[in-house]
Amino acid sequence: MIISLQQVVPTPIREKILARPSDVWNAQVELGGTHWTKLRAPSGSGKTTLIHILWQLRKDYSGQVLYNQAPANSLSDDALSAMRQQQLSVVFQDLRLFGHLTARENIELKRRMTHPTLYPTSRVDEMAAELGVQHVLEQQAATCSYGEQQRIAIIRALMQPFELLLMDEPFSHLDKANTARAAALIAAECRQRQAGFILTDLDDDDHFSYTQQLHL
Amino acid sequence: MTPATSHSIQPLLRKLIRTGIGRFRFLMGTIGMGVAVFFILLAVQTFLNFNELLHGKRNENETADFLVINKEVTAARQTNKALSAFTTAEIDSLRQQPFAEKVGQLASSNFSVNVSSYSDAFPFYTDAYFESVPDEFIDVKSEAWKWAPGQRDLPVIIPSFFVDLYNTGMAMSQQNLPQLSMEALKLLPLRVAVKGQGREAEWVGHIVGASDRLNSILIPQSYMEWANQQFGYQQQKLATRIVLKTQDPSDPALVKYLADRSWRTNADKTRFSKVRTIVNWIVGIVGGIGVVMLLFGLLVFSLFIQLTIAASRPDIELLKTLGLSRQTLHRFLMQQFMPVHLVIMLAVLLALSGLQWALQSVLTGQGMHVAATINPYTVAASLLVLVLIWLTNRGTIRQYLRQ
Repeated sequence: MIISLQQVVPTPIREKILARPSDVWNAQVELGGTHWTKLRAPSGSGKTTLIHILWQLRKDYSGQVLYNQAPANSLSDDALSAMRQQQLSVVFQDLRLFGHLTARENIELKRRMTHPTLYPTSRVDEMAAELGVQHVLEQQAATCSYGEQQRIAIIRALMQPFELLLMDEPFSHLDKANTARAAALIAAECRQRQAGFILTDLDDDDHFSYTQQLHL
Repeated sequence: MTPATSHSIQPLLRKLIRTGIGRFRFLMGTIGMGVAVFFILLAVQTFLNFNELLHGKRNENETADFLVINKEVTAARQTNKALSAFTTAEIDSLRQQPFAEKVGQLASSNFSVNVSSYSDAFPFYTDAYFESVPDEFIDVKSEAWKWAPGQRDLPVIIPSFFVDLYNTGMAMSQQNLPQLSMEALKLLPLRVAVKGQGREAEWVGHIVGASDRLNSILIPQSYMEWANQQFGYQQQKLATRIVLKTQDPSDPALVKYLADRSWRTNADKTRFSKVRTIVNWIVGIVGGIGVVMLLFGLLVFSLFIQLTIAASRPDIELLKTLGLSRQTLHRFLMQQFMPVHLVIMLAVLLALSGLQWALQSVLTGQGMHVAATINPYTVAASLLVLVLIWLTNRGTIRQYLRQ
């Protein structure tokens, strides 16, 4: 999945964006493919806005976004759903779990959304064990710590097929050891799918062997 | 990576989208809907039952389909016989009415007729008249019912009430008169003497049957035409009586048509009309209430769907964000809301079946017949209502998911 951005500028923060140099905003840039991309984005540079635009949650921007050459505004609701089930996956910064469902139910919901399902339900337990959140699987998501919720959101994102994974500060509440485990799992899953990812964060890091580094 | 034998996403959606809110309102809505559907289907079934009572084969009364109509004799008409006759325009107008299947004219004899007995054991002598009518209106089927010039035997059909009057009245009151069966009457030859225009002739009359339908002494049309030419006083034929074949003698339109013109017919046959008008009104009112209630029921359920979607709006938005297609959501919501209507429909059909069965038992005791099971049209009507509900629900869900 290649996402092409053509002079994209989010309308609400237009002045702020144009006042500083960027590799992405108001530029011609191709993201995705098999690149493991790191987007270094200082606070206020529109990091989350970009992820939401790439996920088509926001449409308040000027310029064009194309998915494999297809303009975003030509996508029907069904096509968008299909893309979010088969080609793109996401870890939101604010995680977006269903608080009153258990951690397992949150993951299952995504697992069962694709037909046929990518993984058996046993894979949920394997991943949870790998990330050290097996003990919270039956707990309501809202009662889990933010770090636990972050790992649940990562497992949820890995339950579906994808060509490109979007991650918005996915490790912000994880300690070093847990970050390393999560990164290893994500790397393995991306390799298995021959997928690329776009990771945004405030600072430089060496969680992955990035093939592309951009400045937002 | 073995694709799991997937569990459905439905139980999870059911946890997220709370269809259980407003349970009391939902119950009231369901009851209202049930009553509405019951009223509508009851109206349909009642209408069909009544129709079956009127037209059903087992309830068929052959005389009911034929009406002999004549004009009321008024003071003005007393002095001018021609005024009592139907004009061609009147007959044509009657023929064009939707209730008229066939219209025939009774032609009457234009000459004097004497009928007497050959037998001394059974002596009688009477002046008489004949009428004729196209064969298709006659309910007596007989091989002997034909006449051609030169034929000395003349077949005659008499009204059955004549036979009854004779046997139960006349024969009982006169010591020397025997009672006669229909078979005996058929064997009895009659001397038929005809006179007119200075000519006279005689035929041997044979009763070939008795008619329940036509209260007249009938002879074949071929004889009537020939004899009227030979003996008739006037050549102009007057249609003073007409026969109307109709599917439904109790049709209020027919009764009104006759009443408006002061035409008379056998009131017994049209008596049902009043009952029918009343039943039509009741059926219409019950059906009308049912339809109005159905509309309110549909509205309540629409509001209910809106409420459910509105209450779960944030979760629905997140589901869509995560990639759940609108179709899946739509299908899920339909599956939440449609089964209750199916249950309502089945319950109503079951209740109506019970009622119908009871009605059949009661009516059979009174010699009337309706089917023991509900009519296929009632079932068809229930399907129609179900389709209407389905369309309304689908429209509401589609509209509110889009917002």
